[in-house]
Amino acid sequence: MQYIADLIGISASEVLGVATFFHFINKKPKGKFIIRLSRDMSSIMKGAKSVARQLENDLGIRFGETTPDGMFTLEWTSCIGMNYQAPAMMVNNEVFSNLTPPKVHRVIEDCRQEFNARRPTVGNVGETYANTLNYTNHEINSGLQRAVSVSPSEVIAELTVSGLRGRGGAGFPTGIKWNLAAKAKGDCKYIICNADEGEPGTFKDRIILGKYADMVFEGMTIAAYSIGAREGVVYLRWEYTHLKPHLEAVLEARRKSNLLGTDILGQAGFCFDIRIHMGAGAYVCGEETALIESLEGRRGEPRNRPPYPAERGLHGQPTVVNNVETLATLSCIIPRGAKWFSSMGTERSKGFKLFSVSGDCSRPGVYELPWGITVDQLLETVGGQGAKAVQIGGYTGQLVPARQFDRRLAYEDLGIGGSIIVYSAERDMLEVAENYLEFFVEESCGQCTTCRVGNQKLLEGIRLLQQGKCSNRYLNDLISLSETVKLASKCGLGQASPNVVIALNAHFKEEIMARPIMGAA
Amino acid sequence: MDTVPSNTESQPAADEAVAGNNDSTPIAAEVPMIAVTIDGIDVEVPYGTTILDAARRVGLRIPTLCHHDDLCTAGVCRICVVAVEGMRTLQAACATPVTLPVKIQTNTPAVRTARRHVVDLMLSNHYGDCTVCKRNNNCELQSLAKEYGVDYYRFGHPTEPKYAIDRSSSSVVRDMNKCVLCRRCVRTCSELQGVGALLVKGRSVRSRIATFGDKPLSSVVCVNCGQCINRCPTGALTEQDQTDEVWAMLDDPTKHVVIQTAPSPRAAIGECFGLEAGSQVTYQLNTALKRMGFDGVFDTNHTADLTILEEGTELIIRLYHALVQGDTDVALPQFTSCSPGWVKYLEHFYPHAVPNLSSAKSPMQMFGALLKTYYADKKGIDPKDIVVVALMPCTAKKFECNRPELCSSGFKDVDYALTTRELAKMVAESGIDLPHLPDSPFDEPFGDGTGSGNIFGATGGVMEAALRTVIEVVTGQKVENFFDHADILPVRGIEGARMAEIKIDEVGPVPDLFKPLVPDWDWLRGVTLRVGIVHGSANAKKVMEDIKAGGPFSKCHFIEFMACPGGCLGGGGQPIPTDATIRAKRSKAIYQIDSDFKIRKSHENPVVLQLYREFLTDGPCGHIAHHHLHTHYTPRGKFMS
Repeated sequence: MQYIADLIGISASEVLGVATFFHFINKKPKGKFIIRLSRDMSSIMKGAKSVARQLENDLGIRFGETTPDGMFTLEWTSCIGMNYQAPAMMVNNEVFSNLTPPKVHRVIEDCRQEFNARRPTVGNVGETYANTLNYTNHEINSGLQRAVSVSPSEVIAELTVSGLRGRGGAGFPTGIKWNLAAKAKGDCKYIICNADEGEPGTFKDRIILGKYADMVFEGMTIAAYSIGAREGVVYLRWEYTHLKPHLEAVLEARRKSNLLGTDILGQAGFCFDIRIHMGAGAYVCGEETALIESLEGRRGEPRNRPPYPAERGLHGQPTVVNNVETLATLSCIIPRGAKWFSSMGTERSKGFKLFSVSGDCSRPGVYELPWGITVDQLLETVGGQGAKAVQIGGYTGQLVPARQFDRRLAYEDLGIGGSIIVYSAERDMLEVAENYLEFFVEESCGQCTTCRVGNQKLLEGIRLLQQGKCSNRYLNDLISLSETVKLASKCGLGQASPNVVIALNAHFKEEIMARPIMGAA
Repeated sequence: MDTVPSNTESQPAADEAVAGNNDSTPIAAEVPMIAVTIDGIDVEVPYGTTILDAARRVGLRIPTLCHHDDLCTAGVCRICVVAVEGMRTLQAACATPVTLPVKIQTNTPAVRTARRHVVDLMLSNHYGDCTVCKRNNNCELQSLAKEYGVDYYRFGHPTEPKYAIDRSSSSVVRDMNKCVLCRRCVRTCSELQGVGALLVKGRSVRSRIATFGDKPLSSVVCVNCGQCINRCPTGALTEQDQTDEVWAMLDDPTKHVVIQTAPSPRAAIGECFGLEAGSQVTYQLNTALKRMGFDGVFDTNHTADLTILEEGTELIIRLYHALVQGDTDVALPQFTSCSPGWVKYLEHFYPHAVPNLSSAKSPMQMFGALLKTYYADKKGIDPKDIVVVALMPCTAKKFECNRPELCSSGFKDVDYALTTRELAKMVAESGIDLPHLPDSPFDEPFGDGTGSGNIFGATGGVMEAALRTVIEVVTGQKVENFFDHADILPVRGIEGARMAEIKIDEVGPVPDLFKPLVPDWDWLRGVTLRVGIVHGSANAKKVMEDIKAGGPFSKCHFIEFMACPGGCLGGGGQPIPTDATIRAKRSKAIYQIDSDFKIRKSHENPVVLQLYREFLTDGPCGHIAHHHLHTHYTPRGKFMS
């Protein structure tokens, strides 16, 4: 690390600070095969814990350890975007899904044999159910062709009129974001595609990148044309390393077709190229300023805002950070027009959205649906009738109890990212909350007091509830603390992480308070 | 003679806090004013002013913890949250610039609850009892707990320590059980000081302040400056306390315990007794020290003057070799070596530049060496029974006095270097009410020092003292002929790195003291002497890089480097808090004392002249002087055990 530090002229401790921030940067030697079992709620519901026991028994080590022969390292990891085929794990960069104890036993045997035969592991990802009508009907590059035939400001205007809002979860109007970046002064503006799909329960970006990568790159190129950017970066989460060769191939093909590079599509002076930057395992890097910090080689900790990235982002230059789905969707909008898009959806939620559905339903997968449908309608579509509750919008979203299933998926009501997790009647809501908070405690960047310590205290509180040892008074303290964490934290993580505690208190209070007291008093 | 202060383009022109605030928007020439309303009070502030500063303007206090005026914004502790109209969440006042005319409320139920929760959460991870903490009564966490009415540990309180206390360093003790992760130390170390000994390791609840590889502080690249201690809001970082050892020596009748006091702690120790920063208590402190049992109380200013003569002579010799004899191997510019933090910084980061360091010991070490030789002789005391204590503004002095090479008498030059804070504690322990004591003089055979020695405490002071002497020695004229009241203003100031030029138009005869060294001064006629002044080791880094790149500082002949912002008066051993305002007050006091001195030039110090007559008989940089007053350095580099 001193060597790296000297090369780039910083102190060794700074290098260590960055290295210890990220999950996938190894600080000490690990096994030839690093097995990372996903700990998201969908996986836990589908038997990840018994898979974990099988792995521990087979390898003779516990999680966090490496076998003495240096072959295997066993770790938990946050969601790897395979929730509809849960449980799932990664062996090095390969993904194995729909795991069962016998299956992981075979995988480990395969690893041993493949290692002896010096063959790489090959994952076995099954086909995902995906209903992506509008994407399928999109004629590749028609959006880009249309964009370059008009002026950049006309593209931005069209997008603004369409009402498209960011699909990463925050829902900021895309047209307004572009307009800010277009007006900001800078020598070299950047377009960043946020492919750090870390929200547990979402995998729609992985499907888009796998099937519709061209649309994403097309969207980035349209954005570059509109705001005057010369450089694009795809920030791809490490868990999606298996997608990288495919994406590189698509980029290369686009360069050959003059869809990237200099004078794109014969437009003199329109120069733009895209590179792929791998994340290193940190949920919080999905937050755009943390993502930029990470891109600049620092700890992925969210910045103070303002200034917003559209004014001063990557390397201090105006930067647009858009989610994968936002970029792909706008490629559909530009050729077909704002009117077509805004004719779908509701008053304040225009168009359609991709939803990643997993959990207790018979047809998990990615669904393209118009905004405004009710939770009931969604459950009918995915085969999740009879659910006790549905998590809408990932762990940071809202836990909706059955009596509110008439609520609508729209910014007016349940404004959300793309993750839907269905919980059937037998699910223990405290186990759900414990899993969520374990995730947030693990993934908090750790700079804010409220998020770093507050989430830990909430997690401890949930465990007290599980043991039947939480007083009403302390529960009230925890609810009050939840409000503070939401109000006083710097970024979206802390501002949303206590949602589950508040929801449990509001909707499932009888269930969570009625626990037998466990252990000694 | 012309003197031209020159701020080079590569250097920040603004103020000493060059390393801080580098992520705030640079204030352009014309900044629009924004009208905001804070708690119903209307105020106009320049665009980009933080809510915190805007509130200060109207006399509203917003509590802070991770914020420090010397450092860049972090916005991580969240104690300063306020409600801003139109914003869904509360905003950190220290990190939120005012860009729109908005209404801000600093005192709503949500704000009060949030602040209370922040303190509760910090306390839930803060191990330790206030009553047994060094920072009892001077702790920002303690004050906040009081302010927000914390009357029980709402979210628990650790009953066991989590981390072993790291006492390995000679200067800094790290007790991470008390850390609240405000990161001020990390920002101080990396941004203000350019050292990077401390880092934030890991993330989430596991994140903590660590050294590289979790090694003991003594085994990583640390310059012992103690600036981290000065900025720690709690007792997580403190100095290595040696007061018990010193008491033991004072209580031992076989020991002759003497103390030398430096000018910076004298201008600051009053703060520990409720006095205004910059109160002068030098002679009252003498009374206190004598009452505490010290057998001799001396003024380090004398050896500051001696340093000027030794270091100045060394410079003359270097220049003579370079300019007259054409020796291209002479290491120029010459760097000062009085700041032990700076010396270690150079040894670690620029080991190749060790030859540029003046070989003269620091004033503290010189005094120690004299006390165990010259003074021991005069008094007829065996040097093994003499215990030299030094009152210093500095934690790095603790490391310096343990350097094995600094023992020319056969004994450690200096046995204990106490910080201002440690001595204040000893004074208090003695039941002495410092502000109400009568004055006492310094003890013979040394007595009073000079004004030049006194200004060593402020950035630019060493250079000013040196120039006063050089000008008179070389031109044979009074420095007052060139500078009113002998105040060489071009080298004063608070810029982090600055330069000045002095053109020597005429020369005089060589004084007796220097006759063995140079035949005449003719070779200096028409020469423009270029000097640099640097404080804060992050600025030192910039200057060293400038020299490497052949920039303006590489053309200097002599550069004063001080590791700490503001020089010694802002040292890591000074009372807490230390900030820009307090530094300015201490600085004012130091220059005031200088101007009140009868003798204000090092080469006129009668004690120094007597030393050259009686003890250092072969003159400045002679053999005897070399043996007792000069040292050597260790090119350390960055790889350590």
